[in-house]
Amino acid sequence: LDEKRQTIATVKCKPWKMEKKIEVLKEAKKFVSENEGALGKGKGKRWFAFKMMMAKKWAKFLRDFENFKAACIPWENKIKAIESQFGSSVASYFLFLRWMYGVNMVLFILTFSLIMLPEYLWGLPYGSLPRKTVPRAEEASAANFGVLYDFNGLAQYSVLFYGYYDNKRTIGWMNFRLPLSYFLVGIMCIGYSFLVVLKAMTKNIGDDGGGDDNTFNFSWKVFTSWDYLIGNPETADNKFNSITMNFKEAIIEERAAQVEENIHLIRFLRFLANFFVFLTLGGSGYLIFWAVKRSQEFAQQDPDTLGWWEKNEMNMVMSLLGMFCPTLFDLFAELEDYHPLIALKWLLGRIFALLLGNLYVFILALMDEINNKIEEEKLVKANITLWEANMIKAYNASLAGNTTGPPFFVHPADVPRGPCWETMVGQEFVRLTVSDVLTTYVTILIGDFLRACFVRFCNYCWCWDLEYGYPSYTEFDISGNVLALIFNQGMIWMGSFFAPSLPGINILRLHTSMYFQCWAVMCCNVPEARVFKASRSNNFYLGMLLLILFLSTMPVLYMIVSLPPSFDCGPFSGKNRMFEVIGETLEHDFPSWMAKILRQLSNPGLVIAVVLVMALTIYYLNATAKGQKAANLDLKKKMKQQALENKMRNKKMAAARAAAAAGGQ
Amino acid sequence: GSSSPQGLPLLSYALIFPSRSLAQVGTMSPAIALAFLPLVVTLLVRYRHYFRLLVRTVLLRSLRDCLSGLRMEERAFSYVLTHALPGDPGHILTTLDHWSSHCEYLSHMGPAKGQILMRLVEEKAPASALELGTYCGYSTLLIARALPPGGRLLTVERDPRTAAVAEKLIRLAGFDEHTVELIVGRSEEVIPRLRTQYQLSRADLVLLAHRPRCYLRDLQLLEGHALLPAGATVLADHVLFPGAPRFLQYAKSCGRYRCRLHHTGLPDFPAIKDGIAQLTYAGPG
Repeated sequence: LDEKRQTIATVKCKPWKMEKKIEVLKEAKKFVSENEGALGKGKGKRWFAFKMMMAKKWAKFLRDFENFKAACIPWENKIKAIESQFGSSVASYFLFLRWMYGVNMVLFILTFSLIMLPEYLWGLPYGSLPRKTVPRAEEASAANFGVLYDFNGLAQYSVLFYGYYDNKRTIGWMNFRLPLSYFLVGIMCIGYSFLVVLKAMTKNIGDDGGGDDNTFNFSWKVFTSWDYLIGNPETADNKFNSITMNFKEAIIEERAAQVEENIHLIRFLRFLANFFVFLTLGGSGYLIFWAVKRSQEFAQQDPDTLGWWEKNEMNMVMSLLGMFCPTLFDLFAELEDYHPLIALKWLLGRIFALLLGNLYVFILALMDEINNKIEEEKLVKANITLWEANMIKAYNASLAGNTTGPPFFVHPADVPRGPCWETMVGQEFVRLTVSDVLTTYVTILIGDFLRACFVRFCNYCWCWDLEYGYPSYTEFDISGNVLALIFNQGMIWMGSFFAPSLPGINILRLHTSMYFQCWAVMCCNVPEARVFKASRSNNFYLGMLLLILFLSTMPVLYMIVSLPPSFDCGPFSGKNRMFEVIGETLEHDFPSWMAKILRQLSNPGLVIAVVLVMALTIYYLNATAKGQKAANLDLKKKMKQQALENKMRNKKMAAARAAAAAGGQ
Repeated sequence: GSSSPQGLPLLSYALIFPSRSLAQVGTMSPAIALAFLPLVVTLLVRYRHYFRLLVRTVLLRSLRDCLSGLRMEERAFSYVLTHALPGDPGHILTTLDHWSSHCEYLSHMGPAKGQILMRLVEEKAPASALELGTYCGYSTLLIARALPPGGRLLTVERDPRTAAVAEKLIRLAGFDEHTVELIVGRSEEVIPRLRTQYQLSRADLVLLAHRPRCYLRDLQLLEGHALLPAGATVLADHVLFPGAPRFLQYAKSCGRYRCRLHHTGLPDFPAIKDGIAQLTYAGPG
């Protein structure tokens, strides 16, 4: 029985014909299935046979389930088609997009099911409270398309934004605690995002292991250069040419490595390139600053006196700089002469710095507006007390005649409103996301599709070859697209606390973006001339995503902790700070001893101790990891040494044998 | 080139302006004009070789034409007369190269492409060769030098003044009427008469060097008049810059040619990538 079992296990490796293998396998399986039960004794025999059968069925079920799971992965065929035509670096962008879609799906499910759905089902309907009604002054235009497109009017007073939610502690027959849920979902989204990004990064660290880059250079190049997933002849040609070029370069490098050439020239050129890059970043930063100053001046003037250029100036300056500066960085990178993967990383880093300038200007302008609105709120609060006093006086006056009159009632649309800064912030982010989507699609249509049409159809009647020279078909810009994706996700993380609909809008955007960009890539772009593998750049993208996550959650946490919520809109209205909802829940919903324990836990002394312990743990883990890396290197060296010794020994033995044979003759 | 990055985080100007109506378009603001500066710098630096080429071929040449009253080929020939050894094609070629890189840019093949051409001619050893587009006679001398003994070269030039200069250069190099024959006329008019008037029954090597837009037409004419035997080599210069896309597409797709591209650069402008296409005719069937 054991023999037959071993046959089944090893039949794949035997050098027989397929028919013979199948026959042997069938025979062995029949024998095993008939006689397996014989292993158990007596009554145990049937039970043993049953156990075996269940184990086999379970293994088969697991296998089918794995196949089903693999088939359920969305867009797998599309991405494989792109990978076969463009190589793995372009496909890595789409894999990143798909992963981002998964993360956003979880965020959407959280915000939709725990915030928007309960409010829609169990909250008070539209029109019942002042915060849920369009003000009288805006009622006439509340349903216009222009107003809705700007997310004003009816769209503003709906579950899409913060201001609609009521601050009652529980709603509905289930006593759903909406303010607590709102707060906790916001924190959970941030926590979940951190977890998932870190998990993805640590998973990739394991994959990174492999050959070191200094020894067996040519062996690695010969055996591992080819990308077996390429399915398109033109890409295969490109890959072939690039491998040949790679070999030529490596040979030249080997020869030149003897001569200590011009390391100073290379260093000087790299320094020069970085200097130019700083100059460009400084220049663009100053230009944006100047444009912001001018737009603040224009804001003081009457909007009707400004021309189209002045109104859209800051918008245009930012998009133009964002479009043209990366090509300039590309130009400077030619001075540096790095390997394409390293050059891509540098380019990504520089465009990141450029877009960070955009981001900070946006945040500064936003904080300005928030401060203005908070100041305005104080005035409105004072006005409302006056207005209330007037209304009561008028009501008493109207009641002075007859004692039975209509009860005191003011229509919610007539109540004066405070400026709801949270809704304003949410609206800004939603508008930004929507205009971002439109800009992306328009740029792809014009920059890629129309350009490809022009090159294809006007090539015959043009004096130079448009396909080979300028403008030619566009190559897919990996760095720009990855950065755009990362920064947009940062916007989502910043805005989803104030506009719970934002993850939903982002899901729509990513979904359509996947189809649209896949189509655009296959239809209008050509593979890059130098095709290189992007296996290690995944961690780089994730690292940048982590940085943006950190940078975008800091302002949100700052706003939650230090700014007072609006007094008349949102689930935290009436509180001094938003996080007080936790204290309130502890008081009302938890038994008093638990509340006492939790209050003790937030004792500063305890917190400092915990932080110290965490710092020590991090230091210890870091030291362990370093030690293990050193041990790894040591082992590698020992193995190399051993291999060398073996080689020497074999050579000596062969020489001795040859000498013996020659001596014998 | 790479496409512009899509999807930038734009500042929503609705923070500052509530309405987005299109007011009248005035003069462009200086900030927006300055934002175009990176694009201008990029284009200037990336295509600086093309700008230099433009300056040398168009501007300086027309300037010198106006000043001296001679055409460029005539100036080149007068230089060759004074500096080169008659009867030595190699020395004449190096003199022309020297003149092109030091005095004026002669849009010729150049030493790099010339080496490829010579190697191919020596390899194929054609009995009869045809060249369309003599221009100043540089490539004519190259081919004639590498022809096997008894080989014959016919070269066609459209412009009579240039043809006169080329004729003088070829005779200065020491090639007689039988080895190299210069025909003045348009290529589409000469090719039908080659068999009858010039006794050329087959052309084992054809060099297309006149105008890239006419390559396809002339190739099809040659095929039509059965002037290409099986195994003939067709060489086409300037297939990448300025480029002959239709010609390359026809050669690759019609199935009668095996195509190979030699990547080089222009003489004195090695950064401008150009190529010579080598087509091997497989026969009409």
